[in-house]
Amino acid sequence: MDVQKSAMETTVAARLNDLVRERGQLLPALWRVMEEYRQLSPELLEAVSLFMDIPYAEVYGVASFYALFENASGNTPMYVCTDVMCALQGAESLKEAAKANLGTKVTVHESACLGQCDYAPAVWSGSHVLRRATADDVTAAVEAITHE
Amino acid sequence: MNEVRRLLPGKQTSSSPISKERLVERGFDRALDYALALEPEEIISTVTKSGIKGRGGAAFPTGVKWSSVSKAEGSVKYVVMNADESELGTFKDRVLLEEDPLGALVGLVIGAHAVGAKKAYCYIRGEYREVEQTLARAIETLRHGGWVGPHGVEIEIRRGAGAYIAGEETALFNSIEGKRPEPRVKPPFPTTKGLWASPTLIQNVETLANVAILFAHDLHWFTAYGTQDTVGTKLVGLSGHIRRPGVYEVPFGTPMQEILDAPELGGTVSGSGRLGAVLLGGAAGTFLTPQEVKNTVLDYPSLGAIGASIGSGAIMVFDDTVNLEWVVTKLARFFAEESCGQCVPCRIGTKRILEMMETGELWTRTSDLRALGQAMKDASICGLGQTAPVALLSILERPELRHHA
Ligand SMILES: Cc1cc2nc3c(=O)[nH]c(=O)nc-3n(C[C@H](O)[C@H](O)[C@H](O)COP(=O)(O)O)c2cc1C
Ligand code: SF4
Ligand code: FES
Repeated sequence: MDVQKSAMETTVAARLNDLVRERGQLLPALWRVMEEYRQLSPELLEAVSLFMDIPYAEVYGVASFYALFENASGNTPMYVCTDVMCALQGAESLKEAAKANLGTKVTVHESACLGQCDYAPAVWSGSHVLRRATADDVTAAVEAITHE
Repeated sequence: MNEVRRLLPGKQTSSSPISKERLVERGFDRALDYALALEPEEIISTVTKSGIKGRGGAAFPTGVKWSSVSKAEGSVKYVVMNADESELGTFKDRVLLEEDPLGALVGLVIGAHAVGAKKAYCYIRGEYREVEQTLARAIETLRHGGWVGPHGVEIEIRRGAGAYIAGEETALFNSIEGKRPEPRVKPPFPTTKGLWASPTLIQNVETLANVAILFAHDLHWFTAYGTQDTVGTKLVGLSGHIRRPGVYEVPFGTPMQEILDAPELGGTVSGSGRLGAVLLGGAAGTFLTPQEVKNTVLDYPSLGAIGASIGSGAIMVFDDTVNLEWVVTKLARFFAEESCGQCVPCRIGTKRILEMMETGELWTRTSDLRALGQAMKDASICGLGQTAPVALLSILERPELRHHA
């Protein structure tokens, strides 16, 4: 266990190596770890805390505030906007399509307005946006991630 | 009146949005050379005379803010572009940054020179990943031109991570500082104590784009559109039951009905084809009846007279089949989830409102809702708690919007 933990600390430290170790770099540091691991587990937060020299409770307090850092499964997140303007355009069926096609690699999150209401309903895969998405688009995106 | 394109590049614009050629095509190289050669006071005086008001929601006079930051004590100052844009129905900053990222950046560089800042941040919501990449490339273009870097201003992009409240200016500072993005008590205001307690100029993307086009032309050109109260053009975001959803640039003073109906703007109501209501300004906006839409123009005094404001420029269109109680229940859930929890009136108030909406008590507990709304308005620390009940209270003022299905 200890050996494994130190391995994680080493990889996290390598990932953060060029960041200045100051409080103002905490959010960028969390993003880097999030992009690599798709989650911020207690072990990963501990590694960030050690590298940045910021108390664990502080790191946890910051990380837990942000919705995009909530992804305990470590799967690829898929954000289906179910806010008002997308709901008017059938977001509910997209959510169902996404959930019906769950591979082991995708976790579906409901999202508040994604800022894409001109292309409602919208889905965000963490890297790009599906605009005027159909159930088929969502199914295809889930499958693409599953077969990556 | 036709659609105007000044903040948005004209349809004939051919250069890549992030290129050196775009800087030239839009006159932004000229704007930079001209403004950076001026004394800071001259820049601020021009911005003040232009009458630009903040486009992030509060419509605060931009020149006044620049002057305060410029005069504030302190050897270190910051400028910040607020691109957090997480308000329901709001996507104008996204479209502006997609179509013309250099404009807002040029405004940011001019702002830094005017207030004496060496460091700037662009805070962009985490979900705008693709826009963030465009923005990064646009910054590189300015770096090659020498405007960004050690001899000009350093610009750093900060990526948010899914917190609506982080768009509130003081919460945004905390976010950049690596703290929880909870709003601070004001005063002190950002103009004297912002990022790391230094004087800080924070502006919305669209506000900065206005500065860029102002200096690319002149005051005379800039003031050609608008009303007596508000000069210039406004980006509005049309969504919902409308044939042509999207971002349009219209002069202040454009009739609301025309924004919905003109063939080159909204192109009329879709869905049932009959307008039920408009939610203007965002999640904390005001519902307007079809009659009010017919009688008002897009300007602060006209809208103020019916208790509304432009807010973020969101115009959400609902046909007459939408049950607005469903809409306010969704808004209530949003605010209850996004309240940072720091102060009681907002933390508890947003929860109570949600409970009342979920149990269908909008029309039966009107006096309780009004009293609660007043308490939240009076006693919350920040704009979220102060305005969370606004949309709901605006429905209570308009009983004709009650759904009778
Ligand atoms: C809850 C909340 C969220 C906000 N979100 C944003 C935002 O996403 N973008 C923005 O420009 N202003 C936002 N604001 C307003 C900012 O606090 C600030 O007034 C604005 O950035 C100032 O720029 P301006 O004068 O150019 O409008 C928000 C305010 C509140 C209370
Ligand atoms: S009003 Fe709400 S969001 Fe604002 S500081 Fe208070 S609890 Fe936080
Ligand atoms: S409501 Fe879904 S993107 Fe705005």
